[in-house]
Amino acid sequence: MEQPRRITDSFPRRRRRRGPGRPPGRLKDRKDKDKDKDQDKAQLKVRECPRGPSQPPPDPALMEMLRRFDLSWEYGPCSGITRLQRWERAQELGLSPPGPIRDALLEHRDNP
Amino acid sequence: MFSEQAAPTAQGLLAPPSGEPPTFPRVAVAGYSDLSQPFRLGERSFCRQYAHVYAVRLAGMRPCLERRARGRWGEDIALRRLSELQEGEKCCVVGTLFKAMQLQPSILQEISEEHNLVPQPPLPKYIQPCDELILEDELQRIKLEGAIDVQRLVTGTIVAVYGREEEDGRFLVEDHCLADLLPPLPWSGPSSDRFVLLASGLGLGSMSGEALLSTQLLVDVVTGQLGAEGEQSCAAHITRVILAGNLLSQNTQSRDTINKAKYLTKKTQAASVEAVKMLDEILLQLCSSVPVDVMPGEFDPTNYTLPQQPLHRCMLPLASAYATLRLVTNPYQASLDGVRFLGTSGQNISDIFKYSSMDDYLEILEWTLLAGHISPTAPDTLGCYPFYKSDPFILTECPHVYFCGNAPRFQSKLLQGKEGQRVLLVTVPDFSATQTACLINLRDLSCQPIAFSSFGADSED
Repeated sequence: MEQPRRITDSFPRRRRRRGPGRPPGRLKDRKDKDKDKDQDKAQLKVRECPRGPSQPPPDPALMEMLRRFDLSWEYGPCSGITRLQRWERAQELGLSPPGPIRDALLEHRDNP
Repeated sequence: MFSEQAAPTAQGLLAPPSGEPPTFPRVAVAGYSDLSQPFRLGERSFCRQYAHVYAVRLAGMRPCLERRARGRWGEDIALRRLSELQEGEKCCVVGTLFKAMQLQPSILQEISEEHNLVPQPPLPKYIQPCDELILEDELQRIKLEGAIDVQRLVTGTIVAVYGREEEDGRFLVEDHCLADLLPPLPWSGPSSDRFVLLASGLGLGSMSGEALLSTQLLVDVVTGQLGAEGEQSCAAHITRVILAGNLLSQNTQSRDTINKAKYLTKKTQAASVEAVKMLDEILLQLCSSVPVDVMPGEFDPTNYTLPQQPLHRCMLPLASAYATLRLVTNPYQASLDGVRFLGTSGQNISDIFKYSSMDDYLEILEWTLLAGHISPTAPDTLGCYPFYKSDPFILTECPHVYFCGNAPRFQSKLLQGKEGQRVLLVTVPDFSATQTACLINLRDLSCQPIAFSSFGADSED
């Protein structure tokens, strides 16, 4: 089964060295370990749906722009709501979020 | 109102019954619009955190507070964020207050094993002299000291403080200001006498016969079945009845079924079932004669968190047949005959009462109006839905009548603002304890209590 994709996939992943007393991990354990590491790296709770084989890989520049939008503090907390909802909220509060972000979000509506 | 007009015609009661009794048509309902749409929740999702509520509250109230700060301390004062503060520089900061209280009940402390604490019993007030105020903005927080009343303010208020930062990282406050009253709404009230009856805390299901008789008297007066022609003609001027919460009493809340053994509780039903049936019968009598707005309260069968959603109409089968029954949300806003009403069932005021040194419900009510927010303690100590888009408790328009239900006693005050605002503040007393309701005259925003004691020499006001 394909591992669910996360925004943090674009961060370089570092594998922790296994201690001497650890039992050899099954595939399931390794996946859980990776999940914990990813959650340690960034506290973003937005889950991405598993990418189907037909979709092209996301543009790294676009991912970088979206990540910067997530982490900018002016628009409020980013966890628990979709990026589009956060953009709309920032717009209504008059904080003028950048327009290209919204276009990109609407273009890739199936992949939040 | 009742006594001036009732006295001359009281003799009519001693006359033999006439062939054609006079009838008084009730004044027509003109111009009602329900404006409590922001308090209605559609799809509810609880997987968000409360940080969003505070973020939108600060972002929403910041422009208003910056305007007030400029107006109060000069146009050219420095408005800074906490991250831009420089030591010794006099500036103004806008942020959310947080009051660190030692006695505040904290679930984490209670279940933490290292403390071994017995959960503390609920106290009337949780304030202590050693409480501290901390100002938070989007990124940082700073401790406040100086000319600011720590005991009086509560968590969640948005304030603008003027002062400077000291060497050890505290902020020395010289002056502070709240959002203050909003610009007044245009007045289009009625030109003749129209009354609205406000009552709260009917407390049905409490097994006390005294309160039931008073409730029945209230219903009879409003429907015009009591008194002589004078009183009946006065009752015809009542255009609406608003029941502001706590229709059921606290006794219906006991959860014996959880604690007692199963064989003892098999045939019992919840006390609230009987109480809701009684409520239905009372509302049936009222609705057949006058439009009624029913707001839920702390002990009513609806959700606990604010904003409380309306009671479901399937609980009131007899009364829902009438179109005059309106089941509305807990913070309730409506425009009756051009007069803007805004009110709650009292949970916000009693929560502020617990965490502030203010003792008077009317004072707290006025303070929430000046702070520009119905319930600043909302996510912290009072349950609240995790909003993310906007905070519906921020006051956007200045109401003409601002009330809160379930207060210990009746108080009212006409607040005059600097820009010509006139707000009538009313604390509606708990009917099951005081048997008092309020009559508000929409023409001149005056308010008088009306008491329904069944024994004793009390007369109606």
